[in-house]
Amino acid sequence: MTPYPDRSPDAWRRALTRFVTVIPHTRELGLEVLEVTAERTLMRLPWCDDLLGDSARGLVHGGVLTMLLDTVCGSAVLRALPAPEVCPTLDLRIDHFRPAVAGVALHAEAHVVRVTESVVFTEGTLWQEAERPVARGIGNFVRLGPRNTPPGLAEALFAEEAPHA
Amino acid sequence: MPEGFDDVQWLERTRADADVAAWLALIPYARRIGVSAEPDPDGEGLRFRLEPWGGNVGNVLLPALHGGVVAAFMETAATLDLMLATRSPRLPRIVDLSIDYLRTARTVPTFARCSLLREGRRLANVQVSAWQQEASAPVATARLHFVLADPGRGGPEDPGG
Repeated sequence: MTPYPDRSPDAWRRALTRFVTVIPHTRELGLEVLEVTAERTLMRLPWCDDLLGDSARGLVHGGVLTMLLDTVCGSAVLRALPAPEVCPTLDLRIDHFRPAVAGVALHAEAHVVRVTESVVFTEGTLWQEAERPVARGIGNFVRLGPRNTPPGLAEALFAEEAPHA
Repeated sequence: MPEGFDDVQWLERTRADADVAAWLALIPYARRIGVSAEPDPDGEGLRFRLEPWGGNVGNVLLPALHGGVVAAFMETAATLDLMLATRSPRLPRIVDLSIDYLRTARTVPTFARCSLLREGRRLANVQVSAWQQEASAPVATARLHFVLADPGRGGPEDPGG
């Protein structure tokens, strides 16, 4: 069996697509996984009017950006571990550089800075227009370890790669 | 001029009436995740509520609410609480948020209460606590900074003061 960190970017893209499709909130918003490598995880949230935080002025709700940051950083964590593990968010910090505006998809990129025995440290950036970040943030995630990870999590993510599961 | 947060008269009127429902009606993402506000039964001010809708779930195995949805709920609560609590009508714009997750948020109603720790001329600091069964056992705490803009002045690209 190929170790999880050595699997191809395409296998990982499909695995994390499954991950965000199983999560009801991100499935219903149509979140897409564009790229998953050791260096970064990239996602795209298509525009819908429910993302607004101010209808009159056409501004995106800041909470949408926090939700997206939590999701993209938490997904990058899975890619960085020896084997997928359940890792709840310990804490998040987000800085809003400029308002995100109506009608434009949001892009979210995250990378893992460091993995320890108990915690995974991540950083993320969100933008609508390249080179103009709307927000950046950091998220720390707790490793619950294999003992607290439901058996079959990895097999479910890589269903195509492990048809016997 | 259509009613909205940039309409000074509308903002002053809804604020005088503490009509938070009128504000929530203009916040589509807050409506989508099911945020409401009511007078705090255990004190002054407002108690906010997040519905445990299926669409707010972030972990189907536990099940648990999406941590990002809980954060969006707490940001909405902080913004609306601040709009009522400032000395004069101001439009808050979020600068940053920091949230600590203390317990798993189960698929039951979540409540939140806010404290305005500082209202400066241009900046405000708001603390939020969110809980489910017991206020003494919070599922998350957050703190947020906002820039306070004068309503009716400055577009979205304006740094707000």
